[in-house]
Amino acid sequence: MEGLLVLKQVEAFIQHYHILHDISFEVPKGEVTVLLGRNGAGKTTTLRTIMGLNQVSKGTVSFKGEAIANRTTHQIANKGIGYVPEDQGIFNGLTVGENMRVAMKKEDEETMKRMEWVLELFPDLKKYWKKEGGQLSGGQKQMLAIARAYVNKNDLLLIDEPSKGLAPIIVDKVTESIQQMKEQTTIVLVEQNFMMASKIGNRFYIIDDGVTVHHGKMDELKEDKITMKKYLGIS
Amino acid sequence: MDLIISLVINGLATGMLIFLLAAGLTLIFGLMSVLNFAHGGLFIWGAYTGVWVYQMSNSFILGIIAGIIIGLLLGLVTERLIVRPVYGNHIQQILITLGFMLVLQEMIKVVFGPDQKAVFPPEYLAGSFMIGDIVLIKYRLFIIVIGLLIFILATIILKKSRIGLIVRAGVMDKEMVQSLGINIKLVFMLVFMVGAGLAALSGVFHSIYSGVIYAEMGLEFSILAFIVVVIGGMGSFSGSLFAAILVGLAQAFMAYYVPALSLAVNMLLMVIVLIFRPQGLFQVKE
Amino acid sequence: MNLRHVDKSTWIYLAASLLLLLVPFIVTGRSMQFIFIQIFIFAIFAMSYDILLGFTGIISFGHVMFFGIGAYSTAIVMSRLDSTIGSFLLGVVIAVILASIVSFIVGVLTLRLKKHFYAMLTLALAGLFLVAAEKWRSLTGGNDGFTFRLPEIFRDSQNMYMLCLVSLVLIFFGLRRFTKSPFGRVLMSIRENENRTESLGYKVVHYKVIASVVAGVVASFAGVLYALSLRFVNTGVFATDLTIDVLLMTIIGGVGTLVGPILGAGLVEFAHHWLSGLADVHWIFERWIILYGTIYILVVIFFPLGIVGTIQSKFTNRPLRGLRDNRKANEKKGRRAS
Repeated sequence: MEGLLVLKQVEAFIQHYHILHDISFEVPKGEVTVLLGRNGAGKTTTLRTIMGLNQVSKGTVSFKGEAIANRTTHQIANKGIGYVPEDQGIFNGLTVGENMRVAMKKEDEETMKRMEWVLELFPDLKKYWKKEGGQLSGGQKQMLAIARAYVNKNDLLLIDEPSKGLAPIIVDKVTESIQQMKEQTTIVLVEQNFMMASKIGNRFYIIDDGVTVHHGKMDELKEDKITMKKYLGIS
Repeated sequence: MDLIISLVINGLATGMLIFLLAAGLTLIFGLMSVLNFAHGGLFIWGAYTGVWVYQMSNSFILGIIAGIIIGLLLGLVTERLIVRPVYGNHIQQILITLGFMLVLQEMIKVVFGPDQKAVFPPEYLAGSFMIGDIVLIKYRLFIIVIGLLIFILATIILKKSRIGLIVRAGVMDKEMVQSLGINIKLVFMLVFMVGAGLAALSGVFHSIYSGVIYAEMGLEFSILAFIVVVIGGMGSFSGSLFAAILVGLAQAFMAYYVPALSLAVNMLLMVIVLIFRPQGLFQVKE
Repeated sequence: MNLRHVDKSTWIYLAASLLLLLVPFIVTGRSMQFIFIQIFIFAIFAMSYDILLGFTGIISFGHVMFFGIGAYSTAIVMSRLDSTIGSFLLGVVIAVILASIVSFIVGVLTLRLKKHFYAMLTLALAGLFLVAAEKWRSLTGGNDGFTFRLPEIFRDSQNMYMLCLVSLVLIFFGLRRFTKSPFGRVLMSIRENENRTESLGYKVVHYKVIASVVAGVVASFAGVLYALSLRFVNTGVFATDLTIDVLLMTIIGGVGTLVGPILGAGLVEFAHHWLSGLADVHWIFERWIILYGTIYILVVIFFPLGIVGTIQSKFTNRPLRGLRDNRKANEKKGRRAS
C-alpha cells in the first residue's frame, strides 16, 4: 500500500540556489516519520516545499494518492495538512484565542471537541487565552502553533523542530503531547533533538545536502552507531 | 473660543474624509505591501460618479451608493489587472499604479468632461445650527459622525469577525495564513475592493464638502493619503485615524493662522515623521 | 588616443550625433526645430533620471525639483543681470551648485529609507519646492512666472539647437563613462542586490547619495536649457507631471541604458506633438495621456526592459533584469530556509 504522503525525486530551488537535489520518502499512515540531518541539509525546505511555500522544480509530491506539487499553499492545506513552521508562525498581535479562531475552518461540534481536547493537553493556552501571541514564552508559542495545526481535522501534521530553543522540561511536555496526538493523526517531524526524535518516531529518513540518503526504522537507527556518526554527528 | 471650536470642527471633518481615503490604503499596504498610487484615482471616480447620480436623481443617498459601487468595481479591476501581475515587485508596483492613476484621471475628463463641477449639499444637510454664539455647519457634523461610525464599524469587524482576524493575521504573517488553508489572494482582493470603496465614498463626501470637483484632485489626494499613512504607520488602521485627524487639524489651523504655509504643512509633517520615526507613529506588530 | 580601442557602439553613437547635426539644415521650420530642442532637453533629463531608476534602482518622484532649480536659477540670473553669455554661465554655475547642495542634503536625509518611503518623500519635497515657487513671488513671480531676454547668440533657433544637441552628446558620453566606471558597477550591483553589496563592504548609502547628486546636477542642467528654450519660466517646472513624463520616457525607452531615455524622449515628445495635433480631428486625442498611460502600463508588465533593453537582451542574451526586483520575497524565503 502506498503511503499517505509520497515524495519522489523532488528537487527545489531557493532563488538560484539548488537546495533539494533528490528527496524521496514515504510516510505511512498512522506513524511518525522523522526527518533527520545536519543544519542546512534541507529539512525545513522539504517541509516548505510540501506546503507549496517553495516551488517543486522536478519530481512529484502526492498526498492521499493525489498529486499536490505546485498547488497553492491554501489548497494543499485544505487537503488536510497542518503545518507548524520552524518559527512557529504565531500572529503576534492576535491573542491566543484569536490565533485559534483564524485557524479554525469550521466552528462545528467536532472542531470544538478537538479544541477542548487540545486545550486539555495544553492548559497554558486556556490560561492565557486573552494574552497576545507576542507575549507568550517560547514553549507556549510552540504549544499554540501545534494546537492551531491540530484543531482542524487534518490527516497529516508537518512539525518543524518543535524542541528548538526550549528548556528541557518544556521539551518533555511537548514530546508527550505529540505522542498523544500520534494516536489520532499521521505526523512528519523535523527534529535535531535525537532524544525526542527517537522517543516519538517510528521511522526516519536522513537528509544530507538535499538528498535522502538513508532510512529505516527508528529502533534500528539507535543501534546503528556508524550512520549516526556519519550523518548526524552523534556518537 | 467659537473660532477655535469651528476650526476644530473643520479639522475633524477634513480629517475624517482623509481617514476614509487612507484607511483602505493602509490596509492594502499592510496586507499586500502594495503601495497603490492609483488610490486617489478611485477617490475621484467615486466623487464624479456619486455627484452625477446625486444630481440626476436628486437623491444624495443614491449618489453615495453609486459612488461605493463604482469604487468596489474599480478596486476589483485595479487589483486583477494592474496590481496582481506585479505582486512582490515594489518598483513595478509603484510605476504601474502611478500609470493607472494617470489613466483614471484622464478618463474622468473623457467621461464627465474636463471642467470642474460645482456641487451643493442636499437640503437636509445644508445650513447650520447655532449653539450660543457658535455656528455649527450641518454637513461637517454629518461627516464627523459618519466617519466615526465607519471607524467603529470597521474596528469591530477587524477585531471581532473571523475575516477581520484573517486580515490582521495576514498583515503579520502571510505565509502562515496560507498554511492554515486560507486563500490569501481572495482576502487581498476583498480588502482591495473594500479599500477602494472607502476611497470612493470619501470622494463622494468630499465633493460636497469642498463644493467643487476636478480631475486633478486624484493625485492631490493620493499624496494626502500617503502622508497620512506614513505618519500613522503603514498598515495601522487606528494609526491612520489618528494621523488623518492630526493632518486635518493642522490644515485647518494653518489655513487660518499661517495661510502661506497651509499647503506645505502636511508635507513638512511627513518629512519630519519619516526622518525621525520612519516606521510611523503607530507600528504594526509583525 | 588609439582608435582601435574605441567601442564599436561609440562609432554608431557618434554617427547618430553627426546625423542630428545636419537636421537643422534640412528641417528649417522653427516649430519642428523646437520639437527637436525639447527632445534633447528631455533626453538629458530622462538620462539623469535613469541614473537613479535604471542604474541604482531607486525611484524618485521628486526629480523635477532639480530641473526646476536649474530653470529658475538661469531665469532669475538672466532677468536680474544683463542678457549676456556671462550671466548665462553664472546661471549654470548657480544651478549646478544649488542642485548639488539640495541633492546632497535630500540624499543624506532620505536614501536610508525603503523604496516606497523614498518615493513618497521625494514627491513631498518636490511639492514643497512647488509651493515655495508659488509663494516667493518677489523672486519667482508666483504662478504666472516671468519672461527674460536671451543672449544674442541663442536667439537664433539653429544655435539653440546646436547648444542643446552638443550638451546632449557630451552628457551622454560623460554619463556613459560614469556608468561604465567601477563606480557605476557598484551602483548596478546595488540595483541587483543591495544587501549583498553592503555586505561586500561598500557603503551603499554613500554610493546612492553620489548617484543622486550626479543625477540632480544633470537634471538641473536640463532645467537650464529648458528655461532658455522657452525664454520663460513659471511654477510648471516644479510640477509632478514633469517627473511623470521623464519616468515614462525612461521606462518606454529602456531602463538601465542611456540610449533608452533618449529614444523614449523622442517618442514621447513626437507622440505628444502629433496626438495633440489630432485634437482637431477628434477630441479624444486631447486626452492622449490615456493612450500614453496605457502603453506605459503594458510596458511595465510585459516589457520591463523597455524598447532598448528588450532589443539588447535579444542580441546579447543577457539575463532579463531591468525593473525586476524580487529581493524582498527572497529575503523572507532565505530567512526561513534551513
